[in-house]
Amino acid sequence: MDSNNIETQEPNLSLDMSENVDSMKNTDISSEEQLLEPPEILFQDESIDLGGENFTTPQEQPILENILYKLSDQMMESVIISDSPNNSEDDAGQMEGLQDVLEQCEAGEESLLNLSTETKENTESINDTSDFEIPEKSQKDFQSVSTVNEDINCKDGSKVDESSSQLAVADSILSNSTNQKIEEPTSKKSPKDEAIPVCTIFSQVNNLPKIQGQSLKPDGFEPAIVKSPSFGSSFETPNRLLPLMCQPSPSLSKFFADNGQSNPASDFFDSFTTSSSFISVSNPNANQSNSSVPEGLSSVSSSVLSTPQESATPAFYFGESLSQPTPSNVTPTFSQLQAAFTGTDDPFATALNMSEVDRRYDAWLPSEETRKTLISIATLQYNSVLNKEKLTMPGLKFDNLQGDAVRDLMLRFLGEQAASKRQALTANSVEQSFLGLKQLISTKNWRAAVDLTGRLLTAHGQGYGKSGQPTSHTTDSLQLWFVRLALLTKLSLFQNAELEFESFGNLDQPDLYYEYHPCVYPGRKGSMVPFSMRVLNADLPQYLGKPQESLDRLHTMKTVCTKILDNLENGLAEDGSMINILQENRQACWFTRQTSIQLWRSRLCRVMYSMANCLLMMKDYVLAVDVYHSIIKYEPSQKPQLLSGIGRIFLQIGDIKRAEKYFQDVETDFKTKGNDPNQNTVVLMNRAFVYLSQNNYGDAHSSFSEVLRIDPTNPVANNNAAVCLLYLGKLKESLKQLESLVQQDPSHYLHESVLFNLTTMYELESSRSMQKKQALLESVACREGDSFNIQCLKLM
Amino acid sequence: MQVKVQAESGKMDVNQAKQEHLLALKVMRLTKPTLFTNMPVTCEDRDLPGDLFSKLMREDPSTVKGAETLMLGEMLTLPQNFGNIFLGETFSSYISVHNDSNQIVKDILVKADLQTSSQRLNLSASNSAVAELKPECCIDDVIHHEVKEIGTHILVCAVSYTTQMGEKMYFRKFFKFQVLKPLDVKTKFYNAETDEVFLEAQIQNITTSPMFMEKVSLEPSIMYSVMELNTVSTGEEGVSTFGKMSYLQPMDTRQYLYCLKPKPEFAEKAGVIKGVTVIGKLDIVWKTNLGERGRLQTSQLQRMAPGYGDVRLSLEQIPDTVNLEEPFDITCKITNCSSERTMDMVLEMCNTNSIHWCGVSGRQLGKLNPSSSLSLTLKLLSSVQGLQSISGLRLTDTFLKRTYEYDDIAQVCVVCSHLNPDS
Repeated sequence: MDSNNIETQEPNLSLDMSENVDSMKNTDISSEEQLLEPPEILFQDESIDLGGENFTTPQEQPILENILYKLSDQMMESVIISDSPNNSEDDAGQMEGLQDVLEQCEAGEESLLNLSTETKENTESINDTSDFEIPEKSQKDFQSVSTVNEDINCKDGSKVDESSSQLAVADSILSNSTNQKIEEPTSKKSPKDEAIPVCTIFSQVNNLPKIQGQSLKPDGFEPAIVKSPSFGSSFETPNRLLPLMCQPSPSLSKFFADNGQSNPASDFFDSFTTSSSFISVSNPNANQSNSSVPEGLSSVSSSVLSTPQESATPAFYFGESLSQPTPSNVTPTFSQLQAAFTGTDDPFATALNMSEVDRRYDAWLPSEETRKTLISIATLQYNSVLNKEKLTMPGLKFDNLQGDAVRDLMLRFLGEQAASKRQALTANSVEQSFLGLKQLISTKNWRAAVDLTGRLLTAHGQGYGKSGQPTSHTTDSLQLWFVRLALLTKLSLFQNAELEFESFGNLDQPDLYYEYHPCVYPGRKGSMVPFSMRVLNADLPQYLGKPQESLDRLHTMKTVCTKILDNLENGLAEDGSMINILQENRQACWFTRQTSIQLWRSRLCRVMYSMANCLLMMKDYVLAVDVYHSIIKYEPSQKPQLLSGIGRIFLQIGDIKRAEKYFQDVETDFKTKGNDPNQNTVVLMNRAFVYLSQNNYGDAHSSFSEVLRIDPTNPVANNNAAVCLLYLGKLKESLKQLESLVQQDPSHYLHESVLFNLTTMYELESSRSMQKKQALLESVACREGDSFNIQCLKLM
Repeated sequence: MQVKVQAESGKMDVNQAKQEHLLALKVMRLTKPTLFTNMPVTCEDRDLPGDLFSKLMREDPSTVKGAETLMLGEMLTLPQNFGNIFLGETFSSYISVHNDSNQIVKDILVKADLQTSSQRLNLSASNSAVAELKPECCIDDVIHHEVKEIGTHILVCAVSYTTQMGEKMYFRKFFKFQVLKPLDVKTKFYNAETDEVFLEAQIQNITTSPMFMEKVSLEPSIMYSVMELNTVSTGEEGVSTFGKMSYLQPMDTRQYLYCLKPKPEFAEKAGVIKGVTVIGKLDIVWKTNLGERGRLQTSQLQRMAPGYGDVRLSLEQIPDTVNLEEPFDITCKITNCSSERTMDMVLEMCNTNSIHWCGVSGRQLGKLNPSSSLSLTLKLLSSVQGLQSISGLRLTDTFLKRTYEYDDIAQVCVVCSHLNPDS
């Protein structure tokens, strides 16, 4: 025992109540040990120290005979934090009343134990130490406190239960689907099932004039058309090709081809939409509805899939579809459409142009191994058969999510009648196409949208249980996977997303590159996996508690992006190959390269944002701030937001001075840049956060209110002002403000965070919070889709 | 073992007693609000969803407009649970008494007390009764209390009122919570040959959230003046030795170093700083989420001054490097540390293998009064190269016939003369 492990204790200060009885025993031992020490360093106070650390020191103490040395090299001594300063002012008379303290200690110890076990005894022990009188009745109250506590504990527990029951549900779904899987072979063996045409999306435009504009906007949707593998298969019949230009799905094009051009597309879609869930593997009706698929369709389309080698010179046709990006395509009938296509004059130039865009967007640098495989495929002309492990064989891993939690809640709290009024779109109520998918996404019915992607993928042969079976990839199938996985992530169903991501590996298998499919996509190069899907894949592990893995993936992506940018800046193509520039095209080339540089810069920024966000989640603030800071260089337009964001990070840590410095930088940035419409809002908002961090809720409130004078509909300022009011003790006012917002402008304020604040205040306000929450549920039901997070209503 | 006292906990309690009481009491701890974080999932315009994802993100009120991929938003959300409370932090709580009935209630008195293991504190802002409370109205109070004790605390809220019938009603509720220790502080003293004392303080964050250390300072006791050694001065501004890390992650430890000098008036009298002395105490201020503040002081730090016995021999002067077999001087200071005894000293010098004293051994140093000292210069030479320890001094107090031995009092580096550039 080191002679310097001395701890003093002031008489007025309480003992460390959190220590358990064991440490009391330790104390006895320690005082015995201390008796062996020279008397001059033995202090009465020592016995009070309950800290365990002291007793471990002896063995760490190097044995030295020199006392001087020993003194200067004593071990770390743990210090009792007496209490907060005000309490410890009177240092005098330390030694007095030690006995009292000890007694109190014992009493306190006792009372602590009692508190956690029996309330009755506890009250007695408290009586010992102070004049704390609890009448008979209140003892009962006491009991109730503990039951309340227990209840709360239970509440927590029930949350766990809930999630575990969710798991159970998921399990049952899985087991359900495995049951289905057993049935599957019978239903799936016939080739027709595999050939169910799905990627039919674009033809629908012709039947639904009202949404035409949306899907045929020139904003980059055409490329998807061009990417379709149908072109590879359609070369055999070039004269029939023209009307098919906007039916990219191989199967669908065949469908139309076989039935003649006069056949209205709507017939086809009728069959699609009426058999509501005919793709669903687990659906018992699946067999039934399968039979409703036209026989001819399926057989033909499957044959299409098997004829990719026929490809010849496809580039011309790419151009034709592209050259008609605008209203001329919007013609409602096929004959007109055909006319429009034949009117194309310079297919070659547009084809070139198209491949330019493709190259830019699809560029990616595969790993060395993958690159070699791809080269060998290119030189051999034909697909060399790869090892099965090197192929990507995705399949759905779980069945329909279906379900609408909002409706379930309504059923539970508002009754069947109210629940029946809930009208959220489901996968069945929209077209079974990309268009329907987009509709579901934009109406925030993401669960239904996930279901729909499942159906579409099933039709592509990558349905439930198909994982591990060889399959063909198309641009569309990968886009579908991306949407599905993105939505699962948005819905916080991270495990599900991870499960389905698994079969994609690190997104670097050879068959995920266009070069692997020279017959389907002749001449096309680069990654079939959309860039956003790579970002998603990198982001995902952090939500599952593996942020390090996220960072690894993001760094790999960052390396590729930087390399591509380097290539571009050195006058090379994205993949580092030389570009042959004709003299007259130099100008155009320079222009396209600038566009490409811009694209890759924004992609690099996206990756860096993800990195910074991930670091923030890891609470590695120093690095996160560094990364956010470096984004400014690439996105100077976001400088005020980024600097303010960094300021808020420092506020979150508690470093108010540094936060203020960043907020100051925002203001000087605005001054140098001149008028920015958001200037005042941003400055005031930042100021409000500083006030808030200084516990000055009054000024924070007035700053938020000032933002509202400039921008009355600012939802953040409104919500934050209401929060400040609560901290100022104005519950009713705060409630009134939030409530009126939610009622007047539900589109802005039916947000998780606002509703959470509102329900919290309801709970604080009165015992009738339930009714008020249910009223909120009703307004949620009118507006929100099935992806609404019902937790924030706190009804459960 | 953290007990959650959230709004609904109060509610449940009241529901049981609802038949009896017209008023409902709700309590919610007001920790700082938090900033809402969103989860950016994006796509490019060329991808299947087109601009849908970015449109949804732009419309989401919780995103930062213009930089939607920035995760940390600006939306404030109220505390979601009771959380942890630590010694030195301020416990704030909203107390709301709501009239749930449809009749006017009179003479309402709300009292909030905090019972700790040692005392009971009244936290209510006012102790006067409210004359009347209409239906659907409420009495609000926000209480604050700086927590000064570890362990179980019980917030006792008592409500008394009079019904329309003139019946006096009374109820109270208890909310129990644990106050935990936020920091672990360990100290270590280093005694320099001079009378300076170096204090190393290890401060460990034992909470679960990052902690910004706003101030860690040593308030010295009356005998010492202190110098903080936690910044490196480069140019006009001192740079913290902790670099950019202004905060402590959970379970991280940081070392602070202080140099304490005895004030001249105390240093003069050698006898004063002896035995256990009070060095001072550490004052620590930290901040966490959105400026939630905490402050603590340690108990008085005490140091065991090195025990010099009755006589202290300290070195005043010694060269660091000397030449082989060349004599050099050292200056020693001999202090009589006893309180009232005058000493008569004899100095003996014993050669060791390497150190040879030059001069007469066994000379009388004369009388030395209590708390006084004398300096003397001694000559010696080393016959061995390398780092040599100076040993072999013996002081004998002829009054008590007591001999004090001084070995290993200092080291010198002995080099070959032609290698020493100085000579």
